Amino acid sequence: MKESKIAFLEEKALWVRQQVLEMCLAAGAGHIAPAFSCADILTLLYYGDIVRVDPRNRTWEDRDRFILSKGQACAGLYPILADLGFFPVEDLVNYCQNGSYLGGHTESKVPGVETLTGSLGHGLSIGLGMALAAKMDKRDYYTFVLLGDGSLQEGSNWEAVMAAQKYELDNLIAIVDRNNLQALDFTTNSIDPGDLAKPFEAFGWDVYQADGHSFEEMDIVFDMATQNRDGRPTVIIAHTTKGKGVSFMENDPKWHFRIPKGDEITQARKELKI
Amino acid sequence: MRESFFNGLYEVMKKDERVILLSSDTGFGVMSHIREEFPDRWYNVGIAEQNMIGMAAGLALCGKIVYVYAICPFVTLRCIEQIRVDVCIQNLNVNMVGVGAGYDYGTLGATHHACEDIASMRLMPNMTILNASDSVSAQSFAELSYDTPGPVYVRFERYAGDDLYDKKQAFLGGLSTLKSGDGGTVIISGGKLVHKALEVAENLLEHQIGATVIDLYRIKPLNVELLLRILCRVKNVVTIEEHSIVGGLGSSIAELIVDTGLECSVKRIALPDAFLREYGDRECLHELVGLDVKTMTSQILVWLRNIHGEDV
Repeated sequence: MKESKIAFLEEKALWVRQQVLEMCLAAGAGHIAPAFSCADILTLLYYGDIVRVDPRNRTWEDRDRFILSKGQACAGLYPILADLGFFPVEDLVNYCQNGSYLGGHTESKVPGVETLTGSLGHGLSIGLGMALAAKMDKRDYYTFVLLGDGSLQEGSNWEAVMAAQKYELDNLIAIVDRNNLQALDFTTNSIDPGDLAKPFEAFGWDVYQADGHSFEEMDIVFDMATQNRDGRPTVIIAHTTKGKGVSFMENDPKWHFRIPKGDEITQARKELKI
Repeated sequence: MRESFFNGLYEVMKKDERVILLSSDTGFGVMSHIREEFPDRWYNVGIAEQNMIGMAAGLALCGKIVYVYAICPFVTLRCIEQIRVDVCIQNLNVNMVGVGAGYDYGTLGATHHACEDIASMRLMPNMTILNASDSVSAQSFAELSYDTPGPVYVRFERYAGDDLYDKKQAFLGGLSTLKSGDGGTVIISGGKLVHKALEVAENLLEHQIGATVIDLYRIKPLNVELLLRILCRVKNVVTIEEHSIVGGLGSSIAELIVDTGLECSVKRIALPDAFLREYGDRECLHELVGLDVKTMTSQILVWLRNIHGEDV
């Protein structure tokens, strides 16, 4: 990946994090740390020419489908969709405000959002259906599903993982935001999914791993994943840091749903160059 | 009855290649023609109902019209959150098809009884509920569910009784009057219990009570206008259903009567608010809970005497 592209993506990712912080501060609500965790993944997908969508032709049948199964991170997705032209950037200030169409979980009324999520463990099955539809219709679009590692505790995910290889869905790419944290605690203090490569491999998936904050690494694995049409679904385990970008939020369970106050706001803005 | 439904669905699939059928390992022998003729549109998705509903939602979001099939409790309760979130909130064209209404699977025990499915599906905004009472309605519901936008729950039995309908019946009104009475008492029923409701009405005739019998085959949305036209002229309304007394057809009618201020009295006959931990064939279980014709007739007579002091 060219340095100029990395710089462009870093600039976009910083802007996304700035928007997340300001949206959540204005609303006094929202999931900042979960959005920061996957902000780089989302940035690469949409600004790195991986997810192919066209804001001017939203119903384009060959567009790639992206599902944010960890719907609580939608504060990270909405700025990107707005910036790409799916809806006005000015609307972001209405996030979680009374009467807004932009809420705290991914809402399919929002232009650019393929399906509603919020309750965990739903996105992969829906993505499986979309990928199967592509096979049926002989279309070459990909379906990407971004999962949280904590949400893999939901058993329905594993029904989908088991089913995907049966239908040879090499057009289905799951991404696990592996930040080792969930709402209350570290995953190891709850039911940790462990070495995720093993169950996915056992169920017939191709597994790639990358630093979820390294555009260079992620670009390589997404390129490999999209080139590899071997009849097997793909999972990319993206190793991330929850709260990435604001030092005091990083890797700390208390920031799952907390909104900064007082000096925390000043510090967060300073670190995000606001 | 299930054969009739899948014969109807076969015709639907012949005319529209967007129609997909997913089965969670259910339906041996009753959908063979679909499997053979449409192998790329029929999937045994395994014993994984949550994934089946999510898959169906994904397919529907890509323009497919999806049918999912399992035994009633598994295609409704096992995956109820997927139905709510993936299908109903987004108002998708996914049709949940359930076999084994009430105690149809009586010998298989309480896990396989379908006593809460209608109540659960009634709770879902955007849902349409169709309850088949014979093979004609079951077959027609394939086409009707295809024509109905948004989610539909189709409930039927394994085996049909005698046909109640002519094959030309359109099933668009939501209910049918199968027997006209003298205007004093109306019995509203659904599913296979309609056959028993007709027998009850015959028994009541011996007591000079000419009850009207209605098959309420569409439980949601109710055809409120037509129901009010019927109910505003009667004094006594009896509901008979093979579903829990909580939240089913009877509740639906009682709510309508209360909400519209009608002054008729209501007697609901249904399965008790209890799990039945006994095993046996359907008729045996019906007798255990008072859904046999003799007991229902007696219940209605006692009720009429108590509320009206009628000389019956």
